[in-house]
Amino acid sequence: MNRTSSFGRLAGIAMPSALALALCAAPAVLAADAAMADAETKLEQIVVGSPTKIEVFPESFKLDSPRRKLHLVVTGYYADGTHQDLTRACEVVSADENGARAEQAVVSPVADGNTQVTVKAGGHEVAVPVEVVGQQTPDRISFDYDTLAVLSKQGCNQGACHGSPSGKGGFRLSLRAYDPALDIETLVREAFNRRTNLYEPEKSLLLRKPLMEVAHGGGRRLTTDSLAYEVLHDWIDQGCQVDPPEAAECVKLDIYPRERILMRPAHTQQVVALAHFSDGTIRDVTSLACFSSSDEAVATVDETGLVVGHDRGEAAILVRYLDKLESSTMMFLKEVPGFEWSNPPENNFVDQHVFDKLEQLQILPSDVCTDEEFIRRVYLDVIGVLPKPAETKAFLADSDPEKRAKLIDELLERPEFAEFWALKWGDLLRIRNAKVTNSGVHKFHRWLVAAFRDNMPYDQFARELLTASGSTFVNPPANYYRTATETNDCTETTSQLFLGIRIQCAKCHNHPFERWSQDNYYGIGAFFNRVQRKPGVNPDEQVIWVARGGEVTQPRTGQQMQPWLPLTGTAELSGEDDRRDALVDWLVKPENPFFAKVEVNRIWGHLLGRGIVEPVDDFRDSNPPSSESLIAALADDFAAHGYDRKHVIRTVLNSRTYQLSSRKNEFNAEDGKYFSHAMTRLLTAEQLLDAICRVTDVPEKFAGLPAGTRATALPSPDVESDFLKVFGQPARETACQCERSTDSNLSQALQMINGPLVHSKVRDEKNRIRTLATSEKSNEEIITELYLAGLCREPSEPEMAAATRHIEKSGDRMRGLEDVCWALLNANEFLFQH
Amino acid sequence: MLHRRIALWIACGLAVAPFGYAARAEEPPVSFAKDLAPILMQKCGACHDAAEANGGYQVVNYNHVIKAGDSEMPAVTSGKPDESELLARIASDDEFVRMPQEADPLPAEQIELFKRWIAEGAKFDGSDPAADLSAIIPKTTQPDPPEAYRRPVPVAALAFNHDGTELAAGGYHEVTIWNAADGKLLRRIKNVPECVYSVDYNADGSLLAVAGGTPGSFGEVKLFKPTDGSLVKDLGSMGDVAFRAAFNPAGNKVAVAGADRSIRVFDAASGSEEILIEDHADWVVGLAWNADGTRLASASRDKTSKLFNAENGESLMTYSGHGDAVFDAGFSPDGNLVLTAGADKSIHAWNPADGAKKGQIGGFGSQVLTLVTSGDKILSGSADKSVRQHRLEGFKEFKQYPGASDAVYCVAYHPGTGRLAASTFAGEVRVWNAEDGAEVSTFIAAPGYTPPSPVAAK
Repeated sequence: MNRTSSFGRLAGIAMPSALALALCAAPAVLAADAAMADAETKLEQIVVGSPTKIEVFPESFKLDSPRRKLHLVVTGYYADGTHQDLTRACEVVSADENGARAEQAVVSPVADGNTQVTVKAGGHEVAVPVEVVGQQTPDRISFDYDTLAVLSKQGCNQGACHGSPSGKGGFRLSLRAYDPALDIETLVREAFNRRTNLYEPEKSLLLRKPLMEVAHGGGRRLTTDSLAYEVLHDWIDQGCQVDPPEAAECVKLDIYPRERILMRPAHTQQVVALAHFSDGTIRDVTSLACFSSSDEAVATVDETGLVVGHDRGEAAILVRYLDKLESSTMMFLKEVPGFEWSNPPENNFVDQHVFDKLEQLQILPSDVCTDEEFIRRVYLDVIGVLPKPAETKAFLADSDPEKRAKLIDELLERPEFAEFWALKWGDLLRIRNAKVTNSGVHKFHRWLVAAFRDNMPYDQFARELLTASGSTFVNPPANYYRTATETNDCTETTSQLFLGIRIQCAKCHNHPFERWSQDNYYGIGAFFNRVQRKPGVNPDEQVIWVARGGEVTQPRTGQQMQPWLPLTGTAELSGEDDRRDALVDWLVKPENPFFAKVEVNRIWGHLLGRGIVEPVDDFRDSNPPSSESLIAALADDFAAHGYDRKHVIRTVLNSRTYQLSSRKNEFNAEDGKYFSHAMTRLLTAEQLLDAICRVTDVPEKFAGLPAGTRATALPSPDVESDFLKVFGQPARETACQCERSTDSNLSQALQMINGPLVHSKVRDEKNRIRTLATSEKSNEEIITELYLAGLCREPSEPEMAAATRHIEKSGDRMRGLEDVCWALLNANEFLFQH
Repeated sequence: MLHRRIALWIACGLAVAPFGYAARAEEPPVSFAKDLAPILMQKCGACHDAAEANGGYQVVNYNHVIKAGDSEMPAVTSGKPDESELLARIASDDEFVRMPQEADPLPAEQIELFKRWIAEGAKFDGSDPAADLSAIIPKTTQPDPPEAYRRPVPVAALAFNHDGTELAAGGYHEVTIWNAADGKLLRRIKNVPECVYSVDYNADGSLLAVAGGTPGSFGEVKLFKPTDGSLVKDLGSMGDVAFRAAFNPAGNKVAVAGADRSIRVFDAASGSEEILIEDHADWVVGLAWNADGTRLASASRDKTSKLFNAENGESLMTYSGHGDAVFDAGFSPDGNLVLTAGADKSIHAWNPADGAKKGQIGGFGSQVLTLVTSGDKILSGSADKSVRQHRLEGFKEFKQYPGASDAVYCVAYHPGTGRLAASTFAGEVRVWNAEDGAEVSTFIAAPGYTPPSPVAAK
């Protein structure tokens, strides 16, 4: 049969409702473009107005080198409770030009002594004492803290350039200077003194290339009047020395301000960076630090640390100085004409946090979704399948005001709940034949289903997995160490699943965008390297056991690593204890900053279609949550309720936020991350297959599994299903949730329009339409039933009219009904969760 | 006489008027070789060289410059600047179209030069339109070396003369000649590039080959008369430094290797290039002739050493056993072994007939940067600051020569006197008696330099 032509004729049936679900991706892209264009334009003048007071950071400072400068940050506070950055608008006057000079808000030393500068703005004055020392002695350029910082700041050692593993143009630097010993060799002695000219430093290739005096594939990266040039030049002129062993080390990076909320017209902010050294000195490294923004549509930051806001929203400004990384949270607000907060009721604390932020950002949440939308949404999210027409009818007819909460409670106790959520965790735990054998798959899967069915507390869940020993058959969670076959895999998997840290990069070099170092990576590994694996009694069985000794060696430094915990440090452990116990003890403490957040975020992501941190397992300063208070509140509540996952799911589902409509209003149309409306998304592969089975009432048969096994209850992806693969079913190769593809592609369209699976079910002799037709139901009744099964609603009058007309015209009633069914399966309203 | 007259004009302020006037009245045509080639090399070379050729457009020689890239738009249309993509690209206002990318646009006067050159017919005024740009740029005399060094420079080139009495060392824009016995400066040879990577005497000591350049932009090899420093032959220029110039045992040929990945063999008397070998994928940093001058062994940063027929340039064998950069090469006296020094902290001995590894000398703490062979001796220097002698027999270490304060860049050996010399990154040159290790002389190869404290506290 020619489905394409049928589709054309029938498009009118389903498309009107589908059109209402148009995705919001395009406007977001346009907004980003516009922001980038804005960045090119000149900065707006600051209107100082009448601040009630001004504050200057830092309050005083000591300049201890002729090269060092002090960057001041000046803030004005206003009567209406707002504040703005006046750094660009203030006047700074030096008390003694022979002691220190001030240009804009930058103070340079001239001669030793105590002096001060006075900052004037908005009728206020603040004096900043400045102590100047060390002007008589030339300041040695520090290779570690000046030269390498410059190479990082100019981008020389970034991953796309000389920091790539093979370098560029025969010149290789360590990625963002993680290996100074390698870099000094490369810069100075390697290649027979090619890059540095000790006799005439200005002729060094290291300078002439980025100046484009010699052809340079990386283009122009340096100007002769910059601090970067001065540092590199003087370092060469001083003989390309490395730092003496007794030189002070940088121990801390401090940035200012840590957070700001700026209400337009305030929209720019100077950020400064101070490095603290082991000898107690503090250096202003604003000129040497690298700045970046987590969201360039919201705000950009230039190389001087000046942040410019472009749009409403939040962005993290990241400040990196060598291996130190700090971030500043900036929120940019502005009055939106016509905006008025609607004071939507709050169902629970979730709404309080979401709505507070929406009100602040002047984004108006959508209305609550209809019962039809709710039942479809909540079934798909909680148990993975569509409700039966009878269930839908009963729910719609129910007049109990608490019926949504009641339905949520019912669904959480259904067996499909445990199977569907076991599917999600099965992905993360990589349950598949190739990893744990066929018997192992079923045993591990049964354990996982039981864990969800019995609502095993999440701390216990983590402990059973992470400390598992013994036979993988007798103790299924021991398969955790069967899928993670060696120490590095354990490190990476555990970090990603339970800490939300993608630490893989740190295996070979310090993490380029994060604070995690290579030492940290191998320090985590020290918890796992004693885990051993040996064959069991049965051929497919494996036994996990823990050796009493064995240490991890950091491959670059050759140093033996102590077990190390993020943000905590080295763990003191006695020799023969199973180190994994100490790891889990630390992990499940209620105050652990990662454990609860990662899981509530994962749950939130499953239910709302987007994590509060997105991707859900990628927590880092450069990827801040869209609401810190929301994720913290959920995590606290999770820990306070004994890590009860059903409690979290129930809390989220009962929130008004979850139940908002996907229809947008003029004040939330562009929001893609603050949860002001439901996010439409394609059903997952398994959900879609089950939904097709539900509409047609023809179950899918999977080889080797009992009849009636739903796709959303599959223990592993080892069933050969092209349909599932095309729609993004992961092969479970990695512990990353990203392996489940959410992209749409042409193969999916072909599967739906012309694929064998859809075709066979629509034509099946025992399918829903034929069963209904033989029971002498009218066309109208059959069409209504199909709509209820696929869309959880009855057809509208025009839809019904178009469908019946099509069946009558087609001449063959069965063929006409098949066409309607097929068109329904191809409607966006069916394919999407909304 | 002529020079004196020009000097006189300048002194009288006359030179500016007549020449300046002439220029305004009738500007000389733009010279591709003199005016444009340096700009093309400096601004375009990195992304449009033979290896990268971005956009399918190469800027290696004149023929390339006028040839269309992937866009198939004529790069240069003689007499029609408006129909020349080259000009359109450098003159564009659109930063995504304009060349060079991610860099400042060319100054207006340079763009004007290109425009005028195309308008004037886009002519080639060099000798060979297929020659590299670096080779057609008119040469100028190299700047003078420092009168007195205020600091030492790394010494990457070192050689004994034929009778072992003199040592030539690379300096800054010069080669310095020293008395090997007492470390006294004898002569200075000027008109040499800033970096000197190799010096080599011919068999009778009548010629000194000097290879070097300006890193990243220029390389050259010149033959000097070492007794008076006069220039005998200039073997031409290349786009990056020349790392090695080596006379064949007979002294009538010079093999040259460089950062342009090539190996060339020149006739020493005529200066003509006889063989060009382009077989390495990265810098060629080391080169050695076998005893009868029929074979050449190379060392390259492409992690291989290769064996070539020195008479026709044919590639005979490739050795990849170092798995890392190779810095230097030498032959055993009978030619049955090639010895190579590498970044893998070892010296390998391999059979030139089948490329099989015959031995490996380890024990170095860092990269082995330099190596010479003589009789049964293998003399080497490493970035670990050591100078060592191994014996071919069993590849056993015979002796270490202490004292070097920094990475050893070059070693030289004179069989007649049994003297061994080494030079370092720190600029020192040390001479020993190779057999017993007795120190003969030590000096900093930087004329006029006064060290803050004695270098060699004996």
